[in-house]
Amino acid sequence: MTRLVEVPASFDDRTFDQFAGGFVTAWANGERLLFDAHAADWASPYGLVGLLAAGQAAGAGGREKPLLTAPTAAEVVSYWSRAGFFRAAGELFEIHGRIPKAKPPEDSDVLLPVTAVRAAEDVHEVVSHIQQRATAILTAELGVDPKATMGFAMALSEACQNIVEHAGTGGWVAVQSYHWRRRLAKRVVVIAVADAGVGFRHSLAPTQATRFGTRWGDAAALEAALVQGVSRFRDPGRGQGLKGIRNYVSRWDGKISIRSGTARISITPSWDDDVPLADGLAAFPGAQVLIIIPEQGTRKA
Amino acid sequence: MIQHIDVHAVLRRSVSGSYTDLVTRPTGRAVREGIEQAIVAEASIARIDFTGVGCIDYSCADEIVAKLLRERLRVLLLSGLTDGHREAIEPVLAGHGLAVLLERPDGTLEPLGPRESADALLEDLIARRLATRTPGGDLHLTAA
Repeated sequence: MTRLVEVPASFDDRTFDQFAGGFVTAWANGERLLFDAHAADWASPYGLVGLLAAGQAAGAGGREKPLLTAPTAAEVVSYWSRAGFFRAAGELFEIHGRIPKAKPPEDSDVLLPVTAVRAAEDVHEVVSHIQQRATAILTAELGVDPKATMGFAMALSEACQNIVEHAGTGGWVAVQSYHWRRRLAKRVVVIAVADAGVGFRHSLAPTQATRFGTRWGDAAALEAALVQGVSRFRDPGRGQGLKGIRNYVSRWDGKISIRSGTARISITPSWDDDVPLADGLAAFPGAQVLIIIPEQGTRKA
Repeated sequence: MIQHIDVHAVLRRSVSGSYTDLVTRPTGRAVREGIEQAIVAEASIARIDFTGVGCIDYSCADEIVAKLLRERLRVLLLSGLTDGHREAIEPVLAGHGLAVLLERPDGTLEPLGPRESADALLEDLIARRLATRTPGGDLHLTAA
């Protein structure tokens, strides 16, 4: 029997928990999964890499490759294709639906199409690929000080390295710039990184679980990593990466959110109404990171 | 003696001829080991030149700058730094309570790092006559 997992029509960080709940329920039965995205009308980079992570988990452990029905709306499937989703999804899903051939996203807002991250070399490729275009968008369209644009590449590098060093499996990154009309009325640049690996709790447990005692869990692990800057390594220089990202996004009135297991932690700017820490969520595997840098200057009234 | 080390050349030699960015722990580790092999015993100061290096992330700044200072060198002179490089290096120095010297294009020196560590580094350099202050207050190396 095949179990259905519905992909939300508008699939982003806000609807991800709804998706994760459906996924976890269907996944628990051990049967083949069908991810139904036929009615999707929009997906953020976070939604796309999150869907890949779900596909990775669904097919792991010798399970049958999950099915995926592609969006039926031509402009939606075209965007998913330009964003590099189907190139990555082909390895994970048996895809049904008409998929247009992806064109190079040179003139689009896709700064970095969905890209697999498995090793340090992939992080080099990602940083090298994105610098010139990201710098142009950050300075010309978002009003970020040109001197500070390298911080964006640093944040991207560190977010990707979390996969290489902590996930125990590969993951994906995507970067996009778009006008965020409904939520902020500004342009934003979004970095989304996701994997279906071991997650923060498992990664940090050997060095941190005892310290937290009965409080230990996904939420405590995220708090330890993002707020306290701890790492699973005993080297005193470790843990700088997430701390560096946090400082960078705070400086530019941005947001970072990390979901792992049953919890999500966020450093939220004034324009966002996300809660700092959400616990008791559906137990989605791995870690999913969202970084948003908004246009600088005037704000929505 | 001041020894000059070209980081970009070490990066190309140690990791890949096509990389210009100092990103990821393994890259930082390889470059640090390349620098350690290049440093000669009689060098009192190592001038680490970042000219030609694109991006540096926190992991590489920690692997290279912080670990060279903690484990190998008493004085580290950084040259060819961009503002972007400083964004990665300064938080790492602050996290470890370490200081380095930044050599500006005109040859004057600027300490980087937490105030207390930077002051201690300058005192040490002047006491060892490796650096001197001009009447205008600028700091220069004596053995450049």
